[in-house]
Amino acid sequence: MARGLELLLSAILLAGLYATMAYGLGLIFGVLRIVNLNHGGMIMAGAYLGWWFHEHAKIDPYLSLPMVAAFSFGVGVIIYRGLVRHLPRGAAGGAQSLLLLFGVWLVLRNAAYFWFTGNEQVIRTEYSTTAVVILGSALSVNRLIVFAIAALLLVGLHLLLTRTYFGKAVRAVAQNADSCTLAGVHVEGIYTLTFGIGSALAGIAGLLLGTLFTFNPSFGGAELLKSFVIVVLGGLGSVPGTAIAALILAMVEVFAILVLPAYLTGAVGFVLLVLVLIFRPGGLFGHRVLG
Amino acid sequence: MSALRRLRPDWLSPSAAAAFLVTIGLLHALPHVFQLSPYDHNQITLAFIFLAAALAWNWIGGFAGQVSFGHAAMFGVGGFVAARIAQAQLVPFWLTWLVGGVAAGAYGLAWGHPTLRLRGPYFSIATIGVGEATRLVATYWQGFTGGASGLALPIDAGLKHALYWYALYFLALVAIGSYAIRNSRVGLGLMSIKSDVEAAADVGVPVVFSQDLVLFLSSAVVGVAGGIYASYFSFIEPTDMFGFDRSISFVLMAVIGGVGTVFGPALGAVVFVLLRLYLIATYPHLYLGLYGALLVLVVLFEPLGISGLIFRVARRLRAQRSAT
Amino acid sequence: MSLLRVDDVSKSFGGLRAVDHVSLELVEREILGMIGPNGAGKTTLFSVIAGSIPASSGSVFLRERRISGLPANRVVAAGVVRTHQIVRPFTNLTVLENVMVGAMFGSPESRGNPRRRAHEELSFVGLADRAEHPPLGLTLVARKRLELARALATGPRVLLLDEVMAGVNPAEGIEMTKLIRIIRDQRGISIIMIEHILAAVMSVSDRVVVLDYGKKIAQGKPAEVVRDSKVISAYLGEQSAAAKSPQRARREEEAP
Repeated sequence: MARGLELLLSAILLAGLYATMAYGLGLIFGVLRIVNLNHGGMIMAGAYLGWWFHEHAKIDPYLSLPMVAAFSFGVGVIIYRGLVRHLPRGAAGGAQSLLLLFGVWLVLRNAAYFWFTGNEQVIRTEYSTTAVVILGSALSVNRLIVFAIAALLLVGLHLLLTRTYFGKAVRAVAQNADSCTLAGVHVEGIYTLTFGIGSALAGIAGLLLGTLFTFNPSFGGAELLKSFVIVVLGGLGSVPGTAIAALILAMVEVFAILVLPAYLTGAVGFVLLVLVLIFRPGGLFGHRVLG
Repeated sequence: MSALRRLRPDWLSPSAAAAFLVTIGLLHALPHVFQLSPYDHNQITLAFIFLAAALAWNWIGGFAGQVSFGHAAMFGVGGFVAARIAQAQLVPFWLTWLVGGVAAGAYGLAWGHPTLRLRGPYFSIATIGVGEATRLVATYWQGFTGGASGLALPIDAGLKHALYWYALYFLALVAIGSYAIRNSRVGLGLMSIKSDVEAAADVGVPVVFSQDLVLFLSSAVVGVAGGIYASYFSFIEPTDMFGFDRSISFVLMAVIGGVGTVFGPALGAVVFVLLRLYLIATYPHLYLGLYGALLVLVVLFEPLGISGLIFRVARRLRAQRSAT
Repeated sequence: MSLLRVDDVSKSFGGLRAVDHVSLELVEREILGMIGPNGAGKTTLFSVIAGSIPASSGSVFLRERRISGLPANRVVAAGVVRTHQIVRPFTNLTVLENVMVGAMFGSPESRGNPRRRAHEELSFVGLADRAEHPPLGLTLVARKRLELARALATGPRVLLLDEVMAGVNPAEGIEMTKLIRIIRDQRGISIIMIEHILAAVMSVSDRVVVLDYGKKIAQGKPAEVVRDSKVISAYLGEQSAAAKSPQRARREEEAP
């Protein structure tokens, strides 16, 4: 039973990270109707950036977070203004944006191979291995910090979306961009900022993931798929929905260890994704994805 | 002459048929005429395999507009089923390919039937999930794939050289299939589905059947390609066969060559193979990034890839000629 | 025997009852007008009859053969086809190819020589010179004609026309009504047409049925229906025509 509690706490900590990771994808899709296939690339970039700051500038990863966020935001803005903006909106642009952003991901992967080699890396600090005992379970300090950061971020995002003018504009554009143009909202600006924020969130998630797991230039693919599971399950752009969905995924993953051999737990996310898409494509909140 | 006309299906144009037969004839004779080195001979064989796979990917990715990032799953299923049967040494090798193809087709249909209802990005993401889940399961399923260390096939001394012609005629069949699908009733139905699936159903297009059929055929052909590939190398392992890079390669070939056109993906496959050979020699570390950049350029500037460029040039030439 | 019989059909979306126990009959060679305020459930009813969406309850019969529950493409094969309120041409195909899709996939009798049939339908609607053009360059009325030609190419017995006159000028409207009459008279196709332009509906329909809030509130000959007090109050409301009840506004918003 203590094991069960330990796993549950583990799942909750993981869920915070997953929610942050998924939110950026959901935000971009909700507002721009584009699936950011470069989401994994930004996650990988965030991890490497944090690693680089730590290796070469000796900056603690959690302290380098603002810089990683700013850099990722900038990259996102450049990708949107330079590339994505030129694609047609709507169904025709759908497949094209997939392929475009996928191409960007490949370029980023190659850049990472080029600069950092294909070796596995991880951001290891002095306190990486220390643990704290809470409720009778030993919890890694790293995971606690990551959870705290993630929770703060999510709360901040929720407030941003619901209490600020910017957030209101974003939600309005997500609902009906044409009407927003007529109402004087600078829709292209919202798109740019949203893409930037979504990329920044992915970068931050990558940094946080990099303190917990090893990574290499191919990192990010599994995270992209998990993000997609969460987004489809939890609804687009809704922080509470994303949080609940992230918790569900984290729990499924963590408790799958009890049932499945270790090497298959990685496949759990993928299988869940396919099952969710087949049986509940509307997610928990009924968003239509068919036809 | 009129008897022949009655036999000819109305989607087949005589000039296309003639050009096709000539091309196949030339390719058939190529090794005899040019005294190719074994390396070149084998590279062309491999190219034929990839061309066929790219054309087949295009049936579901280009004609139907459902972009699959998981076709490696079928390539792997076809390859490993063929390899397993080959190990038993009970049947001729070409039969192993057929069985591999059927197995791959069935697998494609199994996950495809429920997921093809999804549109656009949702289907594509599902295919990534399927591809990766298949790879993971296959990597550890010793009984089927021999685990991470892979499977060896019984070596057949003369086979690799002869594969050139087997692969060529396989490609010829697939090319005919591509042309037939695109210009027939099925192809028109697929294009209407690609444009507006609900409106297509509203004028009688059997959406579910059409998509299922095309995914089955596409999967089966890619499975056969996997089988021939297995015979070519006499050794296959899961990461190469089922890997995401393998799935990507099909997408790249089709997109660079011209997704949705009849033969564009074949052109893209040629470019892909040539680029890869060149890059392995000179810039081995850059080929991923180069493909990515190519993808970006194609999407932004010429959505129909190389085929699009050719069409543009042809149109300009025609305009000039009619202007003078 | 009726050609098409809608038997106590209802359709709800969540809490909203878009179609509320509607029954109607269509006989051979008949034009049935369907009118009613916005949000009355007319297009939803079409979608149910055509098989695009399933009914929540009730059935639809074609020549006493149940077609409700069949997917849309099978309903077309049986002989019932609909056009859309907002036209939906296949933008990646030429005008001719658009119609060929209908010819190739319609009811089995229609499949003879699709290309020739498609040309015939295009000539019928007056689009023969645009055959090789993409639909994007067409005017709205031309696109409506294309939609009509494509539907006719499926060889239907019943044609469901959804606001085929909306957005066309009076002269074009007259042409359209002529076409519709010819479809009934020369081809023996029965038509249900949703229309807001009352003059057009009244002049061409044999009978009219009126929907409001998802319910059928009147049916009969055009002249009778127009004088029915329930119909008048449905269109004009209890107060002046300008005021709209919030309920009706919500229905207009939510019923697809």
